[in-house]
Amino acid sequence: MKITYLLFAGTLLFGFVSCSKLDEKPESLLVSEQFYLNENQAISAVNGTYRKLYESGQSIYNSLFQIGVEMATDDYEAGPRARNAHVRAISNLTHDASNDRMEQLWKQSYDAINASNQNIEYIGLIAPEKINETIRQRLINEAKFLRALHYFNLVRWFGPVPLVLKPVTSLSPEDLYVAKASENEVYSQIIADLKDAENLPNYKSYGDNDKGRASSGAAKSILAKVYLTQQDWSNAKLKAQDVIDKEGYDLFPEFTDVFHIDKKNGIEHIFSAQFKGNSGYQGNSLASRSAPADIPGINGDYADAWHAEGGLYGTFAIQDKRLKTTFTTGMISPVDGKYYALAKPQFNKYYDESVVGNQSQSSKNLPIIRYAEVLLILAEAENELNGPTSLAQASINKVRARAAIGDIGKDLNKNDFREAVFEERRKELTFEYQRWFDLVRRGATYYVAKLKAAGKTNAAPRHLHFPTPQRELNLNPNLKQHPDWINN
Amino acid sequence: MKKLGVLRYSLYIFFFLYSVNKLYAQEDPKPIINASLIGTIIDASNKEPIAGVTVQLEAVTHSVKTDGHGRFQFVTGQKLPFTLIISFVGYEKKRIVVNTSPVVIELSPTTENIDEVVVVGYGTQKRRDLTGSVASLNESLLKQNVSSLDQTLKGGISGVQVTQTSGQPGGGVSIRIRGGASIQGGNEPLYVIDGFPIYNQTESTGVGSGTPVNPLASINPSDVESIEVLKDAAATAIYGSRGANGVILVTTKKGKAGRVQLNYDGSIGKQQVLKKIAVLNAPNFAIMRNEALYDAYPNLGKFQYLTQDKIDQLGAGTNWQEEAFQTGKITNHQLSVSGGAEQIQYFIGANYFDQEGIIKNTDFKRLGFRSNINANPFKRLNVGANFSINRTTSQIAPSGIVNALLIMPPTATIYDADGAYTLRNPFENIFANPIATLQETTNTSNALRISGTSFAQYDIIKGLQAKVLLGVDLNNRKDKFYLPSYIYEGSGNNGKANLGNLDTYSWLNENTLNYTTSFQKHHVNALIGFTQQEAKNEIFNAGAENFVTDDLLYNSLQSGATLVRPNSDAYSWVLHSYLARVNYNYANKYYLSASIRRDGSSRFGSDNKWGNFPSLALSWRVSNESFFKEAFPAVNDLKIRTSFGTTGNQEIGQYQSLSTLYNLNYLFGNKIVTGFASHRIANKNLGWETTYQYDGGFDIALFNSRLQFTLDYYYKKTTDLLLNVEIPWTSGYASSLQNFGSVSNKGFELGLKTKNLNGHFVWNTDLNFSFNRNKVLTIGTGAQSYISGNYIIKVGEPLGTFYGTKTDGILQKGEESIKGVFTGNAVPKAGDRLYKDIDGDGKFTTANDRTSIGNAQPDFIFGLTNTLSYSGFDLTFLLQGTIGNELLNINRQNLEMFTGQQNASTDALDRWTETNPSQSYPRAKLDPAPIFSNQFVENGSFVRLKSLQLGYTIPKQLLTAAGISNLNVYLSGQNLLTWSKYKGFDPEVTSGSNIQIGTDSGVYPASRSLTVGLSLTF
Repeated sequence: MKITYLLFAGTLLFGFVSCSKLDEKPESLLVSEQFYLNENQAISAVNGTYRKLYESGQSIYNSLFQIGVEMATDDYEAGPRARNAHVRAISNLTHDASNDRMEQLWKQSYDAINASNQNIEYIGLIAPEKINETIRQRLINEAKFLRALHYFNLVRWFGPVPLVLKPVTSLSPEDLYVAKASENEVYSQIIADLKDAENLPNYKSYGDNDKGRASSGAAKSILAKVYLTQQDWSNAKLKAQDVIDKEGYDLFPEFTDVFHIDKKNGIEHIFSAQFKGNSGYQGNSLASRSAPADIPGINGDYADAWHAEGGLYGTFAIQDKRLKTTFTTGMISPVDGKYYALAKPQFNKYYDESVVGNQSQSSKNLPIIRYAEVLLILAEAENELNGPTSLAQASINKVRARAAIGDIGKDLNKNDFREAVFEERRKELTFEYQRWFDLVRRGATYYVAKLKAAGKTNAAPRHLHFPTPQRELNLNPNLKQHPDWINN
Repeated sequence: MKKLGVLRYSLYIFFFLYSVNKLYAQEDPKPIINASLIGTIIDASNKEPIAGVTVQLEAVTHSVKTDGHGRFQFVTGQKLPFTLIISFVGYEKKRIVVNTSPVVIELSPTTENIDEVVVVGYGTQKRRDLTGSVASLNESLLKQNVSSLDQTLKGGISGVQVTQTSGQPGGGVSIRIRGGASIQGGNEPLYVIDGFPIYNQTESTGVGSGTPVNPLASINPSDVESIEVLKDAAATAIYGSRGANGVILVTTKKGKAGRVQLNYDGSIGKQQVLKKIAVLNAPNFAIMRNEALYDAYPNLGKFQYLTQDKIDQLGAGTNWQEEAFQTGKITNHQLSVSGGAEQIQYFIGANYFDQEGIIKNTDFKRLGFRSNINANPFKRLNVGANFSINRTTSQIAPSGIVNALLIMPPTATIYDADGAYTLRNPFENIFANPIATLQETTNTSNALRISGTSFAQYDIIKGLQAKVLLGVDLNNRKDKFYLPSYIYEGSGNNGKANLGNLDTYSWLNENTLNYTTSFQKHHVNALIGFTQQEAKNEIFNAGAENFVTDDLLYNSLQSGATLVRPNSDAYSWVLHSYLARVNYNYANKYYLSASIRRDGSSRFGSDNKWGNFPSLALSWRVSNESFFKEAFPAVNDLKIRTSFGTTGNQEIGQYQSLSTLYNLNYLFGNKIVTGFASHRIANKNLGWETTYQYDGGFDIALFNSRLQFTLDYYYKKTTDLLLNVEIPWTSGYASSLQNFGSVSNKGFELGLKTKNLNGHFVWNTDLNFSFNRNKVLTIGTGAQSYISGNYIIKVGEPLGTFYGTKTDGILQKGEESIKGVFTGNAVPKAGDRLYKDIDGDGKFTTANDRTSIGNAQPDFIFGLTNTLSYSGFDLTFLLQGTIGNELLNINRQNLEMFTGQQNASTDALDRWTETNPSQSYPRAKLDPAPIFSNQFVENGSFVRLKSLQLGYTIPKQLLTAAGISNLNVYLSGQNLLTWSKYKGFDPEVTSGSNIQIGTDSGVYPASRSLTVGLSLTF
């Protein structure tokens, strides 16, 4: 009897050892060692990098560009419902190195760059039998395109920035404390990446399920813009001409088609951030941010507003077909059916009629580059090279013709033509995240003058760049503030 | 196969229990024949009769209690002489042979009641033998009418700070034992309920809104027999990597051998909000809005919102708080049967608890059952099982509702002219109609929790016991959420439904050997063991939008036109531990305890899985020295204690050491494609937070223990803090979880127990004081501080330090050009608030002119429990206080915006205007930037009558006819009186987060409750 119990107690005591294991094996998460092993995983890794164009909340191509960049121009301001002090500071040009929206620009861009770096590095290491070689090259080039796009934004916003080209896998100082590279070094890398990305397929050769991926045309168009920004007019012209001649794009016949939800990734769309509301996916939140707040049933945020002193609305000709797509002056309430006039015109490009009252679910894509801009790049570059030649005129007139505002004056001189192109860009690309870049491209004097003329009297030459975020300066001993922002 | 092993062993145990049950169920009660013995029990010292004394016939289980006059009556089949055993708390147990009836028996007060046995980690100890700091909760505080057992700890024990995090019925509390140390990890103590360790953490299903229900509310507090709090390392090191935040041991009620006791306890009560915040009525609001609009658009005139005529016709407008707050009902029924014989004892209970919130359409209900059984089927074998099943349902206040009630304009209405809900306020700042939100949102959470432990303990040889314990905790929660299309939040989606499910399964196995022996004057107790615990959580949620009808709520997701992407998640953790402890004492004078636990946790990096947690304690019972007894006869006990040890904190969640990937999607061809991206850089060295704790103290008892005093000093240093160390964003990541930094807590704890009167009139006092000083010692290499919202974590300062601007009056007319730069506004205007230029650069900017402006850590906390009884009446009241802390009143910041977009506190009446050049409150302004300043940091000190219970025990002679052995009626109140200068709803408030201690932002307010009840025993 006793022995039985002793045995019983003994087995109980020691019988349980190692019923469970201490190794951590997440059941609902993948760890990096399990990843980048085959083609499907490579594709999903690159898909993830596309999503970093706007990951969540206020993200780069989902309103952060507007809030963190475009507010600092003569066309936009923080609306009555933009209560955040950081946002209002950008709008008033009183921002400093601790402005959290600019921190986000920096943070999110490098997050996307790190994802691209991982794609480029690890997709290259996948065993040949696990991935089709053509797909491997395409995916790597897509990642290079995205990396170039983010560095292109960064270098324009912040000037010299750290150039990180390998995935960060350790907490060593070499990996963490990267010094800034010069603007030239950054641009060289952007150009190299985009040249590789020119080998991407033409947009027409992507199947229906891949529409929206980066294409050869996208790489060339962004490259044209890079050259234009660098004032490398001849290369800018060459690339723009290349896109126009070889990539098979055209303008939509009607301007409204550019923002029609049934015509996404159409003949004019070269590269866009993709949105789809009410699908358990992500809507374009610019729509609700600009929608008015005080019309029953519209439920807008009214946080992005048109800066009236800049006068943009008035520069549109009455017959300009872009006007009604770009601006709205009043709306019909879905609740009481009445028409409500707005106190001042408001942006309308991303307003989605299929989700009245719930504009945060707008399905409108955001064009990052489209054919009309390539035409304007060609016009600008040609004018800088050879003056307002017929090529330059034909190029801008194509855009003007669709807007039904007639040809540009034939007797403009080079300077006037330049101004005309910039005014055309301003109207054609309103609310497409281009204004700040266009203003700073022209230099400090131009930028400050334009902003002061629009009543933004705090504008100063240092505003040609954003300050390097203070957090980064605090954490990285090798990082220096932009010289214009030291002592500011 | 291994899982099957566990199952097999559990079956063995249940089989044992089952057979034992069958054996004893057939035993008949002993017959009672009519013969009687009458007597009175009196106090030997003052000759007063004593009520409630247990009088038992030796060798028979039959026992009675004395009534209010100390009288007892026995009806028995036995003949004189009887041998009686008489026992009562605070008196020496007496065995006496009685030859006559009636009889008067004298009972002497005990010289020491420190012989009581207290529960410690993996065992029990006599209180006098303790070397560590272990405090027991005053029994009378367990009787408070609260929804969860952690709430009974408020003010009851020194060194334990308990703060309510939400007044939501079934809402949570935050507990800090000897201060919080962890910045990123968990700070809550470990609860060990009948041997089963539980970290009280709410897991989210991703569905629902507002403060989740406290998981501990799914355990019936009425089932609790005792609560012990382990504070120093000597007591907690045996819990190793989970001991650093202190340990709370909960023991549930067990049956006792003796007469069957049937007990019913029922109460009903009401609760109300402690106070409401004074906000503007409609006319005053309209005037403010007119001002704000005129300020922004002066060319449009002074009456842009409403003309004076219309303002005069407004009336008071909607009082949103009045509409939302209600008197909530509380109902509690508790029924239990307990009893047993020598070989088997049982306690079986059922409980129904129903509490309505003080905000409409919020409640908490619990239906629970408990079965605790202990048996000695064979001489050397002791088996037991303690299990409970509880189902809770709760309707939770949606998040943001309290804030909305405060700032919703009084000119907005609940219903429109057609009687439908007004969707939202009509201004640019959108707030949904909070009454519609409250009444029409379905936001319920149901939980079913089955938990308990069973054990078998075998005496192998004399003094050597083997014990195997198996425990399980199953928690299944379902969160249900529906926003109908006719309220604002649901109008955009045309109805929105979500369902979430959480399934938690945790099992425990403990195998211990315990050896006790004495030789000559040496007394030794040794313990070794192996334990393992595993927990697994599975989460699933789904949803839909765009419904054609609101009638089906969340019950028909498939009928929504738009499906919300479903989501599932699973995670688990494992802990393996080896433990050992030796308690040694020589001649009950010199004590030594040493313990060690070796823990392996799945949560940590592959190179850092195992950790050792040792402790050592020494104590000297000076009062047992012969020289001492002669020199200080008044001192009946004096013990000096000291201990040192190491404990850990492993509450960092799962998979934090791994470079995990997460799912994120994108669109191609207008279709969703799956993507993945990496979460973090792997850290193979990730380990626990380690707390080194020193404790020194003494316990002294004077005048036959009528006065007991305990003093402890402790110093706790927590190193290897788990910190999400910020790294440059250029790495692609924002932070990396590393063991970095250290925090210290040091302080004094005082406990004083006195028996002021112990005659006819009994009055006991239990007072505790705690002083804790918290300090950040290091945070990462080179870093001196980091700012997190309104807080700063700074070397040399305590956690919970507020970081903000300092106000400096109001800009007056004519001062614009001189002082305008101190407003932070580009175009300064008279009436703007002025701020101090802290960095001295000649202007004010929000980013640069901030400093430490207060702290949420109290100077000291105290609790004072008084227990009084006199001829059947008993009264217990607890005064509790927190002194010297500050609170961050975010509600007030919202109410001092004066935008005219949202309502404001009545302080707005003193705002700056042309005719009222206020120095305290700024002008009305349509869009001021909210600036956090010392204006919103308030003194959070308070003293309150936390609880009061007044009871009357009906004299027994009135009850015997009905077969009732005891009937007590009582009145019980919570939060009856509060003394505080705090302007918010209640000073006992904190946000749940470690960093943001002391933030009051839209918290469901605390309530005052009053309950009447009766307790009936047959």
